[in-house]
Amino acid sequence: MSSSSHNSKGKVSFGNLIRLPETGSFIGFVVVYIFFAILGGAVFVGAPGWSSWLNIAAEVGIIALPVGLLMISGEFDISVGSIVPASSMTVAMLSGHYDLPATVGILGGLSVGVSIGFVNGILVTRTTIPSLIVTIGVMFAVMGLTLGFAVLLKGSTSVSYVPNPTAKFLLGQFINYMFSVAIFWWFAFVAFFYYVLHISPIGNWIYAVGGDRESARNAGIPTSKVTIGLFMASGFCAAFVGVAQVMTYQQAQVAGGQSFIFNSIMCVVIGGVLLTGGAGSIIGILLGTMTFAVVNQGVFFAALDPNTGSIIVGALLLIAVVSNDSFRKFAISAASKKT
Amino acid sequence: MEQIKSLFYRPSAAAVVALLSVTVFYIFAGVEFSKLMGAASWVNYAARIGIVALPVCLLMVSGEIDISIGAMIPAGAMTTAIISGHFELPMIFGIIGALSVGVIVGVINGILAIRTNVPTLIITLATLVGMQGVVLAGSKLLTGSASVPLTAPDWAKTLFGQLMFGGNHQVIIIWWVVLAFVFWFFLHMSKYGNWIFAMGGDKESARNAGIPVNRMTVLLFVLTSSSAAFVGMCHAILFNSAQVSGGMNDIFNIIVSVVVGGVLLTGGFGTVFGVFVGTLTFAVVNKGIDFTAIDRNWANLIIGAMLLIAVAMNESFRAFALRASVGKKGATPEPTPEKAT
Amino acid sequence: MKFTKTLAMAATAAMMATGAFAQDIAVIAGSVEDAFMDKIKKGVDDATHMVEANGGSVQYLRTQNYENFGPDLVTLINQAVAQGVDGIAIPVWVPDAQIPALQSAAAEGIKIMQYNSGLPVKADIGAINYFGSDEYAAGFGGGKYLAEKGAKHILCHIQVPGAINLTERCKGVTDGAAEAGAKVTILETPPNLDGDVTGTAEALKAEFIGDQSIDAMVSCADFGAAAGANAVEQTGLDVMVSAFDFSPATLERIKAGTQTMAIDQQPYLQGFLATSMLFAHLKFGTEISTDPVLTGPAIVDASNVEAVVAGAALGAR
Repeated sequence: MSSSSHNSKGKVSFGNLIRLPETGSFIGFVVVYIFFAILGGAVFVGAPGWSSWLNIAAEVGIIALPVGLLMISGEFDISVGSIVPASSMTVAMLSGHYDLPATVGILGGLSVGVSIGFVNGILVTRTTIPSLIVTIGVMFAVMGLTLGFAVLLKGSTSVSYVPNPTAKFLLGQFINYMFSVAIFWWFAFVAFFYYVLHISPIGNWIYAVGGDRESARNAGIPTSKVTIGLFMASGFCAAFVGVAQVMTYQQAQVAGGQSFIFNSIMCVVIGGVLLTGGAGSIIGILLGTMTFAVVNQGVFFAALDPNTGSIIVGALLLIAVVSNDSFRKFAISAASKKT
Repeated sequence: MEQIKSLFYRPSAAAVVALLSVTVFYIFAGVEFSKLMGAASWVNYAARIGIVALPVCLLMVSGEIDISIGAMIPAGAMTTAIISGHFELPMIFGIIGALSVGVIVGVINGILAIRTNVPTLIITLATLVGMQGVVLAGSKLLTGSASVPLTAPDWAKTLFGQLMFGGNHQVIIIWWVVLAFVFWFFLHMSKYGNWIFAMGGDKESARNAGIPVNRMTVLLFVLTSSSAAFVGMCHAILFNSAQVSGGMNDIFNIIVSVVVGGVLLTGGFGTVFGVFVGTLTFAVVNKGIDFTAIDRNWANLIIGAMLLIAVAMNESFRAFALRASVGKKGATPEPTPEKAT
Repeated sequence: MKFTKTLAMAATAAMMATGAFAQDIAVIAGSVEDAFMDKIKKGVDDATHMVEANGGSVQYLRTQNYENFGPDLVTLINQAVAQGVDGIAIPVWVPDAQIPALQSAAAEGIKIMQYNSGLPVKADIGAINYFGSDEYAAGFGGGKYLAEKGAKHILCHIQVPGAINLTERCKGVTDGAAEAGAKVTILETPPNLDGDVTGTAEALKAEFIGDQSIDAMVSCADFGAAAGANAVEQTGLDVMVSAFDFSPATLERIKAGTQTMAIDQQPYLQGFLATSMLFAHLKFGTEISTDPVLTGPAIVDASNVEAVVAGAALGAR
């Protein structure tokens, strides 16, 4: 139930390594990478290939992290799909259309995400409506608000914005031409969420809530605060991606962002997060994101029909989950004593 | 008074209230009621969602979920169009082809559901993504394009694709009503219905009680996939063409209709009548704005708000009914969902 | 319940009273989330002022998205007929599905005004006029332009595989380019990349690197231009970036030189003219002798971008 990725006091032995749930995800990643490396050749293995899938991984990865934590705690967040464009439009309107300083725009975009997350959290904890439905409803509502306000305030559905050099440098530039600075932000988020889930006590709370909400509450864990906090985190991360996109592409548009919904879930699942909550790890989500990105991009380098990419992702999802399932059973059955 | 109160305790009460409320809302917003009743567009729209929502209702009552239906609707349409339109084989082969694709995917979903511990949301997410790719790649491979025209013979049109009642209502509406009766009987009158509720309550206990859980699961998945393929097939016949698509919107629409209809995501609770009404409600919410002068840009906002209100009503009605009559047959859900699916 | 019913009937009566002798039209268009459609909508909204000032009404009916195009459009046609409109303004994207429905609408005496696409089938539905460009012709002009600018291998990007209007565009690009001696490769990105600038940029980058004979690209969507420009920036390869339709950011790119051109069909005019001319025909009996009226294609490039900038900022171009 709790993460078995930590042998906090035990030795790191080969046997222990094999039994980590992340091992399954790692093997999956390696297999997929080798497959596409063979098909894609030198280009894929070189900088163009690496930057390609890392750029994609960074965007969906930042969102997959809190979505993964939510799934560990037993909830879904479908509204991320509408938060990304909502926040990028906010930034572009505030700093582009109304000419306010970049920091105001960025803060505006991020707070839009956090507020929507807060609303999600309140609705999920205060009513008995399942989070899947709450976030679908909020998604529609936010889509409507974004479009309505865009046309009301600007008269059009896309806003162009040329960021000032600092903002562009921090959030929107490409290192060595091809590596988006978002990749570094992604790693920072990975480190942060790793701390939250595996080192701080909040991590245990998240696992507990995912295992059994009632028992967690009875054990004194502030379950509502955990849930609301997680939704605010996913709102924040989705908004962050929206902000980064505006800075990179210098435009915001009302549509777009829908693909993040299912893509983030797929990354999390491939990374081994139990849907019913209670198990999973940050490293797993990281590996799952990388695997997903390699497949999505690999098809373009491998001169395969892009639609075979969908078929491969579908198959991968099943293989990954089934094998993670078996790996986990393997780990649980042969586990040495956990703390 | 007691009689009226007991009406509100029924699982489908909230759905009916939701339907009436949204209709009233739109009337206040400027809809001409007579025009709304005369227009077939929302009923046609409802039938399309409704036919798939029915078996999804049964599946969700049994404790599972199927999102691969989003890809199965265009799969059915494309199969029909490719077989009978592009390759010009007799129509009957197109129909059989579409339904077979549905059955095959349903069997795959079902077997994966019973053989592995993987939650069905993920299994069907995988088949959804996989089928999207298969349909698109297949269509490009076989016909070279992503949309295929089809001219169906008259008998097929009469059965599946024509317009009746003066040219606006699609015959698929009749199929929807008929299937609603069939599923209502299946779930609420036959022993299979009891099995489904039992499975939704607790799979292990159901299995121990002698219910063939595995066979029922596969059957239910076959029903959802085939009905989705059926809807796609009807559309290909009615509209003379089929187009590849992601189907994402259909997934949301169907799940929302089922949940507004009072079905619990965690299983064990729900009614066919509720889902029927829930589908109508969703169709009115979606299409009603077209009859008003409200700026279409706010359409999604209205849909989202109405959805949340409708589902919240569902929840409070159910809590209301539970408090008043604990232990009533068929009403044993947990107040807070533990599993996400 | 009874109170609500009385209220409903009163409301209905009131509605019907005001609508007694008005000319009502329905304008059918694509999803409100599509940037291109929004400009059509602005044109329709502006024309609606004129229509309402003359006692008429405009119902704007839109599809949810491109996913179920044919059926959705036919459903809207039937809905408009059921609403008892006097005229329908509509693009014909899926002729196989739409023609029967439009013919039965015409049989009931409803006037059809066509816009944006389907020019070849105008006679079949008996439309009173056509405002638009025709996707094929737009593509043809774009392909020819790029080829004449020196492109030898053009990549045509479709973001929604299966959308007939987009397939027409690339068909036009292929033929137009061929006429000036260039070849075209069509890239259909999977539906889950629709609207995803990063994903599309990386996909385009892979294509550019994989086949370095590609020296120009045209995307069927404006965000594809942003993606293409980014891909060029990342790889440093010399690829001319262009797209159908545009946004303020596109114009910035054309001014800055990172985008070569945008193919414009002036959607604002399509929406505006289709609506206002249909109403004028119904109410005043007017007719335009130019038939069809072409609103494009017009190529926007460095030579004429300034004139367009002001209109784009207002959401009309």
